[in-house]
Amino acid sequence: MAPTKSSLKRKASIVEAAAAAAEDHAQSDDEFGDGLLEGLLEDDSDDESDADFDDDAEAGSGDSSAEDDDLESDDIPTDGEDLEKKLTNGFGNAEEDDGPNYRIETDANGGTRYIYDEIDPAVYDTDDSDAQEPVNTIGNIPLSFYDSYPHIGYDINGKKIMRPATGEALDALLESIEVPEGWTGLTDPETGKALNLSREQLELLKRVQMNELPEEDYDPYPDTVEWFTSMEETMPLSAAPEPKRRFLPSKHEAKRVMKLVKAIREGRILPYKPPEEREREREEEEEIHYDLWAEETPRPPNVMHIPAPKPAPPGYDESYNPPPEYLPTKAERQAWEDADPEEREKEYLPQSHGSLRRTPAYDRLIYERFSRSLDLYLAPRVRKMRLHIDPASLLPKLPRPEELRPFPSIASVEYLGHDGRVRSVSIDPSGQWLASGGDDGTVRVWGLTDGKQQWQVKLSSEDPVDVVRWRPGHEATILSAAVGEDIFFMIPSIENPEVEQASRDVLDAGFGYAANAKQQTTAAGARKDGPAKWSRPGGRLEDEGVLLKATVRSSIKTIHWHRRGDFFTTVSPSGQRSAVAIHTLSKHQTQIPFRKLPGIPQAAAFSPSKPLLFVALQRSIRVYDLQRQELVKTVQPGCRWISSFDIHPAGDNLVVGSYDRRLLWHDLEMSPKPYKTMRFHEQAIRSVKFHRSYPIWADSSDDGTIQIYHGKVVNDLMEAPQIVPLKTLSGHKVKQRLGVTDIDWHPKNPWIVSAGADGSIRLWT
Amino acid sequence: MDTPMGQPGMAEAQQIRVNFTTSSPDIQLPEGKSQLLVPSDIKRYGLSRVLNSESMLDTPSPIPFDFLINGTFLRTTLDEYLKANGLSFETTVTLQYVRSLIPPVYQASFEHDDWISDIDVLSATSRAGLWSGDKLATGQDRILSASYDGLLRVWNSSGNVLATSPAGSHSASVKTAKFLSSSQVASAGLDRTVRVWKYTESEDRLSAALKPTLELYGHKASVDAIDVHGPTGRILSASADGCIGLWTTSKSNAPAAPPSLLPGAGASASKKRKIASATTPTSQRGALSLMPVHGTSPATAVCFDPHDSTVAYSASQDHTVRTLDLTTARVEHAINTLHPLLALTTLPSAASSGGSSVLLAAGTAARHITLIDPRVSAATTSVMTLRGHRNMVTCLAPSPDSAHALVSGSADGTCRIWDLRSVRAGTKAEGGGGVCESVYVVERESQKAAGVRKEKSDVPGRGAKVFGVAWDRTWGIVSGGEDRMVQVNRGRDLLAAT
Repeated sequence: MAPTKSSLKRKASIVEAAAAAAEDHAQSDDEFGDGLLEGLLEDDSDDESDADFDDDAEAGSGDSSAEDDDLESDDIPTDGEDLEKKLTNGFGNAEEDDGPNYRIETDANGGTRYIYDEIDPAVYDTDDSDAQEPVNTIGNIPLSFYDSYPHIGYDINGKKIMRPATGEALDALLESIEVPEGWTGLTDPETGKALNLSREQLELLKRVQMNELPEEDYDPYPDTVEWFTSMEETMPLSAAPEPKRRFLPSKHEAKRVMKLVKAIREGRILPYKPPEEREREREEEEEIHYDLWAEETPRPPNVMHIPAPKPAPPGYDESYNPPPEYLPTKAERQAWEDADPEEREKEYLPQSHGSLRRTPAYDRLIYERFSRSLDLYLAPRVRKMRLHIDPASLLPKLPRPEELRPFPSIASVEYLGHDGRVRSVSIDPSGQWLASGGDDGTVRVWGLTDGKQQWQVKLSSEDPVDVVRWRPGHEATILSAAVGEDIFFMIPSIENPEVEQASRDVLDAGFGYAANAKQQTTAAGARKDGPAKWSRPGGRLEDEGVLLKATVRSSIKTIHWHRRGDFFTTVSPSGQRSAVAIHTLSKHQTQIPFRKLPGIPQAAAFSPSKPLLFVALQRSIRVYDLQRQELVKTVQPGCRWISSFDIHPAGDNLVVGSYDRRLLWHDLEMSPKPYKTMRFHEQAIRSVKFHRSYPIWADSSDDGTIQIYHGKVVNDLMEAPQIVPLKTLSGHKVKQRLGVTDIDWHPKNPWIVSAGADGSIRLWT
Repeated sequence: MDTPMGQPGMAEAQQIRVNFTTSSPDIQLPEGKSQLLVPSDIKRYGLSRVLNSESMLDTPSPIPFDFLINGTFLRTTLDEYLKANGLSFETTVTLQYVRSLIPPVYQASFEHDDWISDIDVLSATSRAGLWSGDKLATGQDRILSASYDGLLRVWNSSGNVLATSPAGSHSASVKTAKFLSSSQVASAGLDRTVRVWKYTESEDRLSAALKPTLELYGHKASVDAIDVHGPTGRILSASADGCIGLWTTSKSNAPAAPPSLLPGAGASASKKRKIASATTPTSQRGALSLMPVHGTSPATAVCFDPHDSTVAYSASQDHTVRTLDLTTARVEHAINTLHPLLALTTLPSAASSGGSSVLLAAGTAARHITLIDPRVSAATTSVMTLRGHRNMVTCLAPSPDSAHALVSGSADGTCRIWDLRSVRAGTKAEGGGGVCESVYVVERESQKAAGVRKEKSDVPGRGAKVFGVAWDRTWGIVSGGEDRMVQVNRGRDLLAAT
């Protein structure tokens, strides 16, 4: 195909070659149908960013393929020439200039006439490659409007742009088979011809498409041409001599200076500001500054402020050259290095650098600063609102026991003689004699201070003496003792005849009355058997001083005398209905005041100052008014089993001891509940007693101890009783889980007598 | 101290100028020898040797001396004493030297059947011996012991019982007994009577007899203490009924006994006692006066004023000591103490001052002895407290030699000998005042022998309570008590004489 085209002009040769290449390309793809090719092209064109171009190209290709007119053979080369010129503007011109650009014709006169080619404005007018020739000026209307005309529009000069000739269908087929070089299948909308692109143009498009520089040999990064910079110019740029004006003073300047001089002379310009004005300005300047903190006075820090704790001052071992004793030995160093960093005592090892100039920078500085800051941050110094209470202040203010003397503190006398347990002790009203009764069935009377046994009687060989009590009152000395169901009344032979006689009279006074009373009861026929039988105990005992016996129905555990010495009450817990009995000594009479009690009575006592009878049941104490014969009060100590109780000599306070180790102080005026509950003993409390005159009281327990308390009761209702534990008296041995069975106070002195299950009696002073 | 430190003599002991004085004329230093320079680190022993040296006293056998500075015994070195008292080393220290004390060593003990309640002695130096004057035979040194078995016993110095009171005279324990003279004895006890006995000895002094001469009735409770005054034949008794009785030994002067108190007065008094009283047809008398000065509290002790037999002092469990005017039978003055009093004795403390004032020592149930100035004008009644006993103080006896010493017997089973000159200031817990601590403690020999003491008892003096003590120049310290022994301890030179 190339030889067929060789006849073409050299100008078009390149175009031809491009077309040939395109044809080659088409030929190689000839098996493909149009559609397929279009698709391929489309695919290609998809890569292009310009969609419009794509549409136009399709439209153009449709035109060119469907209605392909015959191309004017003349036009084609020019077009190609133009195009070629446009595209290859550089190297084609030189050859073009070689030929003459005129024709020699003869004019009408016969002279030669040089007819020049029409000047191609595209060559000379502009370098604008965008302005294409010929430009259809029909505007933006569909080309189909011109379908019925031979032209397709008008160029800028108003000339018709003729429709390019459409070839025969066979030509079109051929054309489609032999694709000319640069064939694109597009129709140039301007000219209506097939738009063929040269190889350079395609190359250009490809480059644009590939985002490369359009021109191949354009260097976007040329070497910098360094003008006037790094290279020192040894020679002046110009060899011209220095202009004169360089030497002559400028007249213009002189004129301006003269103008200024003149103005100054005339006073229009002041060369400097007058002093007062400068002063004022300076003042103004100064006034501008406001010292916000000028009047600030140092204030004490906020109360919540806590200054950061100061780090410890450096020691000798932190010196750059510490004394040798601070330097670690090898073993210490090894130990330090082996230790976990958190377990090290010091965070550094003392090091000796010899001299300050050899001391290196401290490598741990940043770390230490940081950890200090971290410490200060992580351990915020917050003042905690703490209650500073001295624990001692929470304790009740109790006086010291030393200030509450006298109270018994040591064992002074031990009374030895009882065989077996001593169950009960009692000191006589005069305070000289001590009576005791025990398991051996004897009642013994001892000299209190010397500890010498002065009198003894064996009341029973089987039953123990459960309780001994002296009858109150100085006019007679009568000792009562309970053995089993019997109450014995005896007069120890320690008294003078007068008292002894008086005592006998007291004991015997009831005999006549009892005889009369018996007659009366029998006359009434109410009951034959009284609650108690009063009688003489029998010859042997009578010789020994035991003069009277009263027998009740069940064994008696407590005796309590009324303060006047005529009445006494006994309690026999197993006595059921007749458990509590009130006896009248002067009448030898026994009464059973309570037919029914809501529990088993444990103890009973007359109030020391009021006509009241206190009866302790297992869990409560009932207070009866003897005159009105009614229940006045029920005290609930809250313990499980009351063992004993005693009434304060003033009559308003009560202390209760219980088998469940509790000791309870009751204020009868205040409440039926205990005012104070104490637990000082490890074992059951056996007995509690108030001193009759001193503000002390005591309890005894099965743990072998006696506890002495100070218990001051004030008449003032506002003031609560003051209870202070004073002293624990220990010395009695615990035998068969029984310790101190009974205690009794000396009537005048702060002495206490205790009876122990170990068979000893002790006087504590 | 004000001694310069750089003094060369500092290295060795410093010399202190001392001045020896004494109040005993037999060991007086020769003239001009009393001043001496002694090293400051010298102690009692060194000073004693210095005094015994040839250049000083030149005694044939060394006499141990004690030294008093300003009335207190030197127990440390001189140096320490001066420092403790803030005295200059350059002052002349006056050292009063006295014969050193020898502990009251145990000498003998006489055994009884029952507890001993009281002890009295008869000797040429005892009070009764002095009262009896010429009637006292030489070498008639007797001990009278009252016992809980109701008997009085008279012992001679070799430990034999010369006489025992007839059984059944005292129907109960005798609580106290005293020699009135070499031939008269008074006793009292639980049977509420005060009895006067005639004591006669056989020619060979190997046997004697106690014959009851007088039964004095009037007390309604046990008589716990008596005191006697030989020349006037007066007896004072303190009874548990709170009365102080004044009795006379002369049958003619004494009033009749109150019939209600005589044995058998009660309609049905026991037969035994009836028989007992029937067997002794002794004359029964009453009291010259019965002074109910202590109310219902037992009077526990009574004693005559040593200078004036019409004045007596009584002590009671009601915490008071009362001065009684016996002629008017009234209480002159009552002194309140803080504790029940159990024993009382007079100390002729004012012997030095020559006046008639008396210091009373009262043994309390609170385990100490209170010294009481009984004068009405006295600013402080409680002069001093003697502390050390561990149980009630039951009996007291003054020293026969010194006005500054006494012996006390206590229920803790010890007798303690006190020198009132060694005083320290009492602590606040002790109540202030001067506090004296005992010089010697006389333990019970019986307890030592039995080894009872070895086991620690929480009752002080269990089984060894001392109920009676007497101190005589001849006999020494005689004490008796619960251990049924009369124990004689050496009583001479126990304390520094002044």
